[in-house]
Amino acid sequence: MENNMIYMRDIVKSYKIGKNKLTVLKEVSLEIKAGEFVAILGPSGSGKSTLMNIIGCIDVADSGEYILKGENIKARNEDELAHVRNREIGFVFQKFNLLPKYKAIHNVAFPLLLRGLGKEQAYKKATRLLERVGLSDRMNHKPLELSGGEQQRVSIARALSGGPSILLADEPTGSLDSKSGSEIIEMFLALNHEGNTIVLITHDLNVAKQAKRIIHVRDGKVLEQ
Amino acid sequence: MNLIEIFRAVFMNIQGNKTKVFLTTLGIIVGALTIVLVISIGNGSQASVEEQFRNLNVGTLQIMPAFGGRATERLTSEVAAQIRAEAPSIKNISMILAARADISYSNTSASASLGGVTEDLMFINNLEMAYGTFITEEQNEDAQRVAVIGSDIAQELFGDEIGDVIGERVTILGRRYEITGILKGMGDSSMGGISPDSAVFVPYKVAEKYIVGRLARPTIIALAKDIDHVESAIEEINLVLQEVYRNKSDQFRIIDAGNRLQSAKNSARTMTLMLLAVAVVVLIVGGIGIMNVLFVSVKERTKEIGILKAIGAQKRDILLMFLLEAIMISAVGGVLGILGSMLAMPIMNYFQVRAIPTNFAYLLAFGFSVGIGTFFGYYPASRAAALKPIDALNYE
Repeated sequence: MENNMIYMRDIVKSYKIGKNKLTVLKEVSLEIKAGEFVAILGPSGSGKSTLMNIIGCIDVADSGEYILKGENIKARNEDELAHVRNREIGFVFQKFNLLPKYKAIHNVAFPLLLRGLGKEQAYKKATRLLERVGLSDRMNHKPLELSGGEQQRVSIARALSGGPSILLADEPTGSLDSKSGSEIIEMFLALNHEGNTIVLITHDLNVAKQAKRIIHVRDGKVLEQ
Repeated sequence: MNLIEIFRAVFMNIQGNKTKVFLTTLGIIVGALTIVLVISIGNGSQASVEEQFRNLNVGTLQIMPAFGGRATERLTSEVAAQIRAEAPSIKNISMILAARADISYSNTSASASLGGVTEDLMFINNLEMAYGTFITEEQNEDAQRVAVIGSDIAQELFGDEIGDVIGERVTILGRRYEITGILKGMGDSSMGGISPDSAVFVPYKVAEKYIVGRLARPTIIALAKDIDHVESAIEEINLVLQEVYRNKSDQFRIIDAGNRLQSAKNSARTMTLMLLAVAVVVLIVGGIGIMNVLFVSVKERTKEIGILKAIGAQKRDILLMFLLEAIMISAVGGVLGILGSMLAMPIMNYFQVRAIPTNFAYLLAFGFSVGIGTFFGYYPASRAAALKPIDALNYE
């Protein structure tokens, strides 16, 4: 358990829809070690997105234990969770979720700015990361001036900028053509090779197969690890 | 997130929505403008009141025949002397005998208010000498035919020679009087029925002897030591009147002239406060406008708030972003309103509305605008800050 990046035991999460209670996660337990590249695979409605939200600390479980990098998440208030998200989690979303008003470089610098870093320092690191994802000539473009593949690379750079413990990618290729999609997967493989822990959520078996381990989720339960 | 970055984010957002921001701020602009105008008009009317009563001391009391009834008794120098002796709350006291008379010098003449008075009137009415001296006690006792002339009359009679006429003589009702003093212009003010600028003052006893006659009804004007002694002065005067006139003392009344000034000032102030309340209501309406727009803005930017939260924005960051936006919108509105009020001043003058803008008015208008923006901005901003990241992120 010591070298577990993520340790989950009996996580339960349910939502109220009208008068009915819908249990989305039914006592999910899983462990992910530092440096792993894990795919969480499941059809839509399986609860994998909810699982990802809980792993990423943007949602909280009703019950069960979640220990991230040795820290118990249950006891955290909203601002502490924000702090955890800023430091430990790098999100890559299916629809990129970049801030359209800001240039690519500012988007990438944002997690550092939120940390209180000055603009100059934050931009320095953002520049390095954009160079690394191959967008050194697109830094001053706004998201809508970029192609889907480019936007996703910007969001990977943003996810990396905070120096997170986990890269959490939710259907990162879902909005991309197959060429851009495989470029993104290549990038994740390279990042994992450098030691980054990556959790990739997908419904696509071909994408999941790129990962080193697949966790199947169905009906709110983890079927196999 | 440090404040500079939050400010940068707020600026970007305002820049991207200039029209919306301007429309939002209209209420604040109108409110701030109203505050400045109202205070300026209030200042103007207070200044008018003060000018009107400029020569009046607040402790001034007048003793005059009461209206109605048959007046059998008259005030005399002896009564004035007795009041002076027996009323310790009184600092100055003078008889006034008022009449209208023509006054002539070489071949010009003017119609003047004539006042038979004593030395103390100068202190009671805050008269100031341009040349020469005011009537003295000695001149009154000896009934010397001397005249002190108000500035308008002096201008009319002497023109350019005004500085050289001390010692010359004027003619009033066929008798010649030595000019011993010329008054400074005192502006529009009236005391005991005499406006100093268009008056000629002579010693009381001279007026009684040569001009008005023994049957005239003089008044007495007195000045209490200070405003706190007005009440005791009135009591003391009443005691003397009762002693002298017995059961006929009700033929006289004592007018607290300072009271008139105070009530005129008060009504000017009440007016200002009333209008100010209207201005504040306008600002509050403006503030509600800001609140509404901010709520819409929070709704529109829910996704953005979700993204910011997902990458680690704290509640404080989101709160400040929206709150500072409200504050900046209202500050801009305040400044525009103040500029607008500056433009409106010439228009007010054109319509002869007297308005005196002060820095206090500008500061109050600005302070109120920003205060209102902060107050009404806080609620939507805190709603934005309290959004759950998962809900905000999934908002479409």
